[in-house]
Amino acid sequence: MNAQVVGVSADAAPTLKAFVKDNNTKHLLLADIRRTMLPAYGAVITDEKHPLFRYPKRAYFILDKTGTVKYVKVMNNPTDLLKAEEVLAAIKESGAS
Amino acid sequence: MRTRGRVLRAVATGALLTLATASTTQAVEVGQKAPDFTLSDPNGKQVKLADLLGKGPVVIYTFIQAFTPT
Repeated sequence: MNAQVVGVSADAAPTLKAFVKDNNTKHLLLADIRRTMLPAYGAVITDEKHPLFRYPKRAYFILDKTGTVKYVKVMNNPTDLLKAEEVLAAIKESGAS
Repeated sequence: MRTRGRVLRAVATGALLTLATASTTQAVEVGQKAPDFTLSDPNGKQVKLADLLGKGPVVIYTFIQAFTPT
C-alpha cells in the first residue's frame, strides 16, 4: 500500500519534537502554528467575535498519490478517533491506494 | 462565596457564548485537489504537500494539541 501517515496540529515545531521524543512517534508530524493549512482543509474551529479562537478539529483526509482528495472525515468531538483498521479500510474503499 | 458564584456564572456564560458563535471552516471535498501547504516538521525543516505525493496514498490527520488526549 505504501501509505504515508502525517499528523498536523497547531503546535510549534519544538513542541512536536518533544512529543515525538517522549512517545517514540514513527510517523511524520507537522506544525501549523500559523494556521495556514488547517483552515484550508476545514479542520479548524473559528469564532468571528474572538479572532484568537482558532483551534484545530480532529479530522482525517486521505489523498491519492496525485494529491486528489479521496476521503474526508471531520470529527465534532476531538477525542473521537478512527481505529487503524477503519483508516486502512477507508484507504482501500476510497480507491486511494 | 457570593463573589465566587458570580465569577463562576460569568465564566460559564462566556463559555456558552463562545460555543454558540463558534463555526467551522468548509472542509475539502472528495474529488478535489488537496490544497497545497508548507509546514515545519519537528526539526524545523519545511515540508510541502508535493514532497509527500507520488509514492502512494497520504493519510493526513489533524489534532488539537500534543501531550493531550485530543
